[in-house]
Amino acid sequence: MKKNLQWKVILALAVIAGAIIFAYPFNDTKIRRGLDLKGGIHLVLQVITDDSINMETDQEIARLEELLKKNSITFQKVTKEGIGRIAVQGVLADEEGKTRDLFEEYTRDWDYGFTGDRANLTLKPLVVQLLRDQSVSQAKETIDNRINQFGVAEPLIQRQGSDKIIVELPGVDNPDRVKELIKVTAVLEWKLVKAGPAADEATLLQATNGQIPDDAEVLKGDPKRAQGGFYLVDKVAVVTGKDLRTIRRTQDEWNNPAVSFTLNADGGARFEQVTGANIGKQIAIILDKKIQSAPVVEDRILRTQGGVIRGRFTPEEADDLVVVLKAGALPAGIKYLEERTIGPALGADSIRQGLVAGLVAIVAVMTFMVVFYKLSGFNAVAALLLNVLILFGALAYFKAALTLPGIAGIILAIGMAVDANVLIFERIKEELALGKGVLSSISQGFSRAFTAIFDSNITTIIAAIFLFQFGTGPIRGYAVTLTISLCANLFTAVFISHLLFDLTVKKTAKRMSI
Amino acid sequence: MQLFKTPNIKFLKYKYIALAVTAVIVLAGVLNITVFKGLKLGVDFGEGTLLRVMMKSPSTEGQIRDLLQTVGLGKSQVQKTGNTGREFQIRAMEAVSTKASEQDQLEAHEALADKVIAALRGDDGRAELSRGLVDLNAVDERTLSGLLEGAFPGSGPDAAQKVIAYRNQNGIIADFQDLAGIGLKPEAQAFLKDKTFLGKLTIMSRETVGPQVGADLRRKAVQATIWSLIGMLIYIALRFKLEYGVAAIFTLAQDVLITMSLYSFTNREINLPIIAGILTIVGFSTNDTIVIFDRVRENQKLMRGKGLEEVMNTSLNQCLGRTVITSGTVFLTVGALFLFGGEVINDFAFLMLIGTIEGVYSTIYLSCPVVLFWQKWFKPKNARRR
Repeated sequence: MKKNLQWKVILALAVIAGAIIFAYPFNDTKIRRGLDLKGGIHLVLQVITDDSINMETDQEIARLEELLKKNSITFQKVTKEGIGRIAVQGVLADEEGKTRDLFEEYTRDWDYGFTGDRANLTLKPLVVQLLRDQSVSQAKETIDNRINQFGVAEPLIQRQGSDKIIVELPGVDNPDRVKELIKVTAVLEWKLVKAGPAADEATLLQATNGQIPDDAEVLKGDPKRAQGGFYLVDKVAVVTGKDLRTIRRTQDEWNNPAVSFTLNADGGARFEQVTGANIGKQIAIILDKKIQSAPVVEDRILRTQGGVIRGRFTPEEADDLVVVLKAGALPAGIKYLEERTIGPALGADSIRQGLVAGLVAIVAVMTFMVVFYKLSGFNAVAALLLNVLILFGALAYFKAALTLPGIAGIILAIGMAVDANVLIFERIKEELALGKGVLSSISQGFSRAFTAIFDSNITTIIAAIFLFQFGTGPIRGYAVTLTISLCANLFTAVFISHLLFDLTVKKTAKRMSI
Repeated sequence: MQLFKTPNIKFLKYKYIALAVTAVIVLAGVLNITVFKGLKLGVDFGEGTLLRVMMKSPSTEGQIRDLLQTVGLGKSQVQKTGNTGREFQIRAMEAVSTKASEQDQLEAHEALADKVIAALRGDDGRAELSRGLVDLNAVDERTLSGLLEGAFPGSGPDAAQKVIAYRNQNGIIADFQDLAGIGLKPEAQAFLKDKTFLGKLTIMSRETVGPQVGADLRRKAVQATIWSLIGMLIYIALRFKLEYGVAAIFTLAQDVLITMSLYSFTNREINLPIIAGILTIVGFSTNDTIVIFDRVRENQKLMRGKGLEEVMNTSLNQCLGRTVITSGTVFLTVGALFLFGGEVINDFAFLMLIGTIEGVYSTIYLSCPVVLFWQKWFKPKNARRR
């Protein structure tokens, strides 16, 4: 064997071995299936980042009022003018300087200006940007935590653009439950009840002359928990979800699913003090502004004692409540922009059909090549099989997901891969027809066909690259398989085929089977 | 074996007829898209919702449509898929006020999907659900596992996994009898028969894309198309002469327009895979064009003194075997995909079938004539000298 032929054989064998090593044993562990083949949920959600700005604005208003009072500055009221905009009204003219100094020192994140007796504060654009960004990354982290707590294998949760999050959960077959689990804000609060429950707001507010007191708010019972009606509760929470130390699923005395909790030192102390002072009164347990239950405080609850949240939960609901409380509250609301649920049965079906179509395609093409090009046809068949093998090896190596369009890409690539062989073989035939020798016809055929093969593969790869750039999930899978197999094609149809001819066609051959 | 014994077909003699035919098709297509039917945008581009369901017992498109009629969704497209007679694809659309917020629109589409499912179920299962039974054709593995674990401590997850695996394999459980062969204990089978019921359908998939993402995907599809066209154009212009690049633009434009036109005529929907398909056709067609141009470039050196038209004709004939064979093999594989690939990929395969033929046609009757005309109009001296 000639020396450079030796090296070529070694290279060929190395590539084959590499592909097999990467892809073996050709199952799920190596070839990652996309959502459309595996089944699962694909969600695109948007974080309502305005929420975090709103929250910041509300907090700033409370802080400002306190600040102004503490520094004995006279003002009429502090009002919210919009998202990230506050006005302090009725500032006395001779106190403007003092107020400015105060703003200068304490409200660094806000731009301010005065018009008459009004101070206008606007959240700085840079801070707005930062808050929005933070709310998205916090939301992502929270969702990540919740999904982990819930237990999903190989979840994919990633940010997209400025305010979107993509959630892909393979193999999940209960989309409604998961969607709820992700979306719930999960702000848990305990608040003292001033009045209620009442059938409607008017009845509730009779005692207070139809007015909602400044330090209270009206909340509704969660209809799901059979605690309907209206309640008047304190604005300020006794403890919140942030004060939770442990939380777990339990059963109440009637064996209904419930959730038990203990509080951290700080929260426990407050809880002990408030319950001690309010024996006989109701304390509402509020999740996302909806009252879950409003038990009567029967005794002082010691700081280490903790308690139980009841509310006619189903076992799943109790589990999910534990999950979201452990994972923490979302910093902002979210909304869904795209929802796709693929059942595992459909995925299995697609794989079966893809496999059948693929086999039919490859057998048809191989039969054709052998019938048409006789012994040389086997050369093309070998190149084709190696092409598919390299494709799987590369898919495994790059951990690229195989999707349904991806399978279509493979099948299409099978058809296109032999194009290079056909170009070469036809060229060899032409050379032979001109009366050239077998060996020189082969080498002429390969070298003359090469530019056409190269150029034509490149143009399709250009299209595939842009598809990858702009495409999403399944389409990317298509772009990937097409690109890989066209690149592999340059290797198999040109290099391997040539090598096979070199190895099998004798120097002295007068004719060849083509 | 030789496909053609030294063929000598005067392809370019018919260039005017072919150009006229192309013009008619493209014009009709463009008119159809812009004035008459328009392109039907699929669920990927934010239009309505797409459901795939499997029924417990065989049904017909008509029956499904009748069920949908009861909730005023009679206009939904219902398509039977697979060959079991039990699988259906339902594409529901309902005019949602464009004034509604984006979230409302998405929720409206989601509600639409729920409405379709409710209509298909009808009264089925209502009595059982109210008795606290679980629909075995809808329950998720986790819940079923919990249910079984309650009755048979220690073997719940395993039994649930078996049942769900059977359901995934078959799409739906038609009869409790079918569960006999999956290795469940008789007690477990009896328990399931007692505590669960078999709902009328399973939902194979449901897809809804809100308007925001829909618009985003639409924009990306257009960008992907335009950028890959530009990319290919630049590549060809670099590798060949300018007029070949220009010919390539015309060809690519024709490829896109003709496939789009046929799409609008056949009433199929445009979804993301279709965009991928169109770009593949464009790539495939360019591939074909390049092979011919490559040969023309080579023959121009060999056939000095001959007119360009003759050189092109010779090149086309020399490459004829290859052209027929490669488009033939691609046609074979895409045909396999069309016949066996399943419903989800069917539209894509259909597009590729058209495209394979169209790509060859556009090379012969658009790429070559454009180069010819270019040389005739802009380089008269050049042409005479040759």
